[in-house]
Amino acid sequence: MKASSFLRLLLSLLTILGICITLIPFFWMFSTSLKTSSEVFDLPIRWLPSIFQWQNYPLSFSRAAFDVYFKNSLITGIIVTTSNLVFCSLAGYGLAKFDFPLRNFFFKFILCTLMLPLEIILIPTFLIVQQLDLLNTLFGLMLPLVIDGFGIFMMRQFIKDIPNSLIEAARLDGCSEFGIFWRIILPNCKPALGALALLVFRDNWDQFLWPFILASKDALKTFPLGLAQMESVDSTAYQEIMALAVVGIIPMAILFIFFQKAFVRGIALSGLKD
Amino acid sequence: MIRYKNWLKIVGFLFVLPALLHLFVFKLYPLIEAFKLSFFKYDLMSPPVFVGLLNYQNLWDNPLFHQSFLNSVIYMLGVSVPEWFLALILALLLNRPMLGRPFIRLAYFIPIAMSQIVVAVIWKFMYHPQGLINTIIGIFGIDRINWLSSEQTALASLIMIGVWRGIPLFGIIYLAGLQSIPKDYHEAAMIDGANVFQRFFYITLPLLLPTVLFVIVISLISSVKVFLNPLVITGGGPNGSTKVLPYFIYETGFTYFRMGEAAAASTILFILIFFLTLFFLKVLKKGDI
Repeated sequence: MKASSFLRLLLSLLTILGICITLIPFFWMFSTSLKTSSEVFDLPIRWLPSIFQWQNYPLSFSRAAFDVYFKNSLITGIIVTTSNLVFCSLAGYGLAKFDFPLRNFFFKFILCTLMLPLEIILIPTFLIVQQLDLLNTLFGLMLPLVIDGFGIFMMRQFIKDIPNSLIEAARLDGCSEFGIFWRIILPNCKPALGALALLVFRDNWDQFLWPFILASKDALKTFPLGLAQMESVDSTAYQEIMALAVVGIIPMAILFIFFQKAFVRGIALSGLKD
Repeated sequence: MIRYKNWLKIVGFLFVLPALLHLFVFKLYPLIEAFKLSFFKYDLMSPPVFVGLLNYQNLWDNPLFHQSFLNSVIYMLGVSVPEWFLALILALLLNRPMLGRPFIRLAYFIPIAMSQIVVAVIWKFMYHPQGLINTIIGIFGIDRINWLSSEQTALASLIMIGVWRGIPLFGIIYLAGLQSIPKDYHEAAMIDGANVFQRFFYITLPLLLPTVLFVIVISLISSVKVFLNPLVITGGGPNGSTKVLPYFIYETGFTYFRMGEAAAASTILFILIFFLTLFFLKVLKKGDI
């Protein structure tokens, strides 16, 4: 008995230590964002600033067109997410509930594309978008990202579990094929759609390489690009960089706290095998 | 009836078609094109010229490429191997009944919502010679380390960030896998007198194998494509010690405009990912795809 309570204490301590390692960087970011520049490297370290310097936030935003960057990130994020939801659920439905030649081949092909990150096909993708004359356009920024194999895989796994009888019944009632998708499949996929929306939006909020290659015009930069640029130009204004970092996590942090279950379900769903 | 069945086949195909077209144009075609371009000399200005294997020859002769390849392999294994084990430990910890579990889970999982760039700037700041990490190790009497400006520690510093960021994500995946294992297996084993370790190795681990496989493959792919951290945190330096393949490809293509050589490096990166994935799938699944 004694040994097991000792083990339990040890496990609890381990859990707490893990939480500290996970959260201290964020706490440190927030605390630094409210310091004066001379306090940033004070020794011994200050866990909290003596006076909260809230003006760091508006100051940091005025360093570059961060309102524009923020807006670009939001717009592309929303459009890319919407398009993924539409096309991935369509394709997922087609693969899950219809039988046509080469269906399994197409499904395997889609799974294989998951092994092809943009980093590998960066050069040709850039050349394609250049040939389409879409460099330095918002459309070009979104085009390669509007459909991702991961979403198709996820929707297919989910739609497979919707009973066929629902679809058959709707067909007998004379519902059109697209009508079935719209009125039967989509409403039954709400949990998967929610989870997918969060994951795609997160990935897009995170997207760095593609806009980095594509958007040389300031008006097209996204938030991550702006922050990276600030990091290289004003690399000593740590308190302001941290203020921007705090602003940069706000949209995702809010979504995460409110929709934690959907997030976790989405990631979990992606790990469940066929 | 047959006509109706054929009609349904067409409808199903039409549902998949837009996605297929997109993946053909933006995944398959670029992959083929990268392979093709790797035999050409192309600088975006003058038309491409066929040069045979020259690009591969140039890479072979370029010590920087060898270094980038090696760095990529070290980074990939350095990040993913600890992730496999630490994420599993995290999942096992969180799968126990305990006080305040929802809050503890939230605390652990919130880094998943943080974007890479934010993680990069926070860690760069913490790695500062007078920063938080040196202060903390100072408590234990360890001297200041120039984490990012010394060749010995720069890549290791980036690896630590990668591991830190990956653990919660793979922890969730493991946790889902753990929760799908029926409870009565464990109860039956307990009645038979199996201890914690026996239960873990004979019940949990075999049933978790598909999840483990998934985690291994995804962690390898996601770590080999690291680009932002070397770019923003170390700029590939000091002295090329954090230059990884994606960084090498970016630099060759978009700084020196040697598109063919960059495409050749991409092809080699693809082969690396392909064979590593295949290797782990084969070893762990013993045969079938």
